[in-house]
Amino acid sequence: MSSIYVNSKDVFLDIVNAKDYIQLDRVSTIYQALKDSIKKPLKMILLYGRPGTGKSMFLNKLHQDLSASQEVYLYKTPILDESEFFKTLAQDIFNTKYSGELNFTQFMKIVKATEGKEIPVVLLDEAQLYSEALMEKIRLLSDTRTVKFVITLHKTEKEDIIAKEHFQTRIWETIELENASSAELKIYIQKKLMKANYFDSANMFTSKSVSRIHKLTQGNYRDTNKLLYTLFELYSEYEKTHRLASIKTDQVSSKIIEMSAIHTGLINA
Amino acid sequence: MLNIVELERRWLRYKIKSYLPHAIITLSVITISLVVLSFLSNDKTVQLTKIAISEKSSIVIDKNKLEVQRPIIQKPLPIIVQPTVEKEQEKQTVVIVPNIIIKPTNTRSQVQLSPSLDFMRKMQNSMQPYYSHENTHVQRAYAPQVEVVKQEQQRVYEELQTDVEDISDIEEVVPVAKKISIKRQNTQNDIFEIIKRFKKNNNPALSLFVAKKYYDLENYQQAYNYALLTNGINEDIESSWIIFSKSLVKLGKKKKAITILKKYIKQSHSNGAKILLDEIRSGKFK
Repeated sequence: MSSIYVNSKDVFLDIVNAKDYIQLDRVSTIYQALKDSIKKPLKMILLYGRPGTGKSMFLNKLHQDLSASQEVYLYKTPILDESEFFKTLAQDIFNTKYSGELNFTQFMKIVKATEGKEIPVVLLDEAQLYSEALMEKIRLLSDTRTVKFVITLHKTEKEDIIAKEHFQTRIWETIELENASSAELKIYIQKKLMKANYFDSANMFTSKSVSRIHKLTQGNYRDTNKLLYTLFELYSEYEKTHRLASIKTDQVSSKIIEMSAIHTGLINA
Repeated sequence: MLNIVELERRWLRYKIKSYLPHAIITLSVITISLVVLSFLSNDKTVQLTKIAISEKSSIVIDKNKLEVQRPIIQKPLPIIVQPTVEKEQEKQTVVIVPNIIIKPTNTRSQVQLSPSLDFMRKMQNSMQPYYSHENTHVQRAYAPQVEVVKQEQQRVYEELQTDVEDISDIEEVVPVAKKISIKRQNTQNDIFEIIKRFKKNNNPALSLFVAKKYYDLENYQQAYNYALLTNGINEDIESSWIIFSKSLVKLGKKKKAITILKKYIKQSHSNGAKILLDEIRSGKFK
């Protein structure tokens, strides 16, 4: 069954895809700043923000945009084993296959051997999962200016300490991603739906209903996506059970918003 | 697939929960407002009551003042009154017998007052203006009695003076109510004197008085005689008929007394006679 609600629901699937990236004024500015920073001879760029603020999407978009013009490598999931990490980098960046254990010293020899090559950009998502020792080695590697790192961190107290103690002196650019405002969220939702050609669904989101959603999600993109996915799922369920007449359809029903929030755990009921 | 029914139930519970604080706050505000209003109204009532109480208490204070003042007036009463009586006696050349004779008792709180029969003389004066010409004779007849009374008055006065000195120390203490008893002076001489007067003017009041005196002295025969005389002069005097009947009962003529009382009641409808008749019949009066 393919109704407007079922199709709209799929728009908000929690998938990081550069194609689904929504240009918002503020985010666009930040993105442009990040692109400019990469062009600069910086050792390291730190991208941080609370979970669900779009860091991963940012990296994906950056990777997509930069890959056409320069050598860029994206690692969405962290490679926690040190040898495996260096082996992966040696193979991807320097085309050097290494059998057996590869330690930092051996990896640095490979890097020196390929000096003079264009500086590649390595994008590391969820960097807070890397061990302190490995992070220290990443810092040392960035000091050689042979590899440029863009790393993303969750903004927590612990991660703030990591940022300060290990990277404060070395990071030249730090970019913080924040939750969307109510107006930004409205644009985000409507753009997302319109991008998939679901204009009727997009029109359902009035400022009042988006404000209600913003109140529940605090403008967090991930939470908003989850909520709206459930919201359209509920609409489709009402439609399926022929009870659509009992709820608002011209605009998003407050009842459905709250029910979605209850289901997703945003409201504790 | 979502369980809409369960989700709706949870949503309803959430809505009730979310409205509950608002309802509680609203109710609390209303309750507080009501309490404050009732408190304010109570406060006004209390103020009004206080005013009313203060007004009442002021009245009470006035009463107290009056009550306090009363003993102060009472205490010197025997002192103030007595000399004036004495002075009047000194000025008067004709009759020296005072209107009131104060006989002190052993206890300070009890004073017995014994009136003389002087009022009889006044009564006579009203009927016989010529009686004043015989004042010298009366003075002579009462001379020794006057002397005794004078001495008695002097002694009472002196005793009361000492009593007052003692009392002055405890002026604020409310004195114990004094028991006052008045005794009539029944002497044979008084009766003779009145009989004399009665023989002269045939005044039924005098004969009635004599009848009463004889009755008090338990001389029921004489009481009967003088009551009969009184009834003969004026048959409308109730007390004369009563003394007459009482004397008859005392003389053992109960039936005659009842018959006479019945006749008198029939004629006069006297309540006093009715009461006496009942008492005689019931044996209460013997």
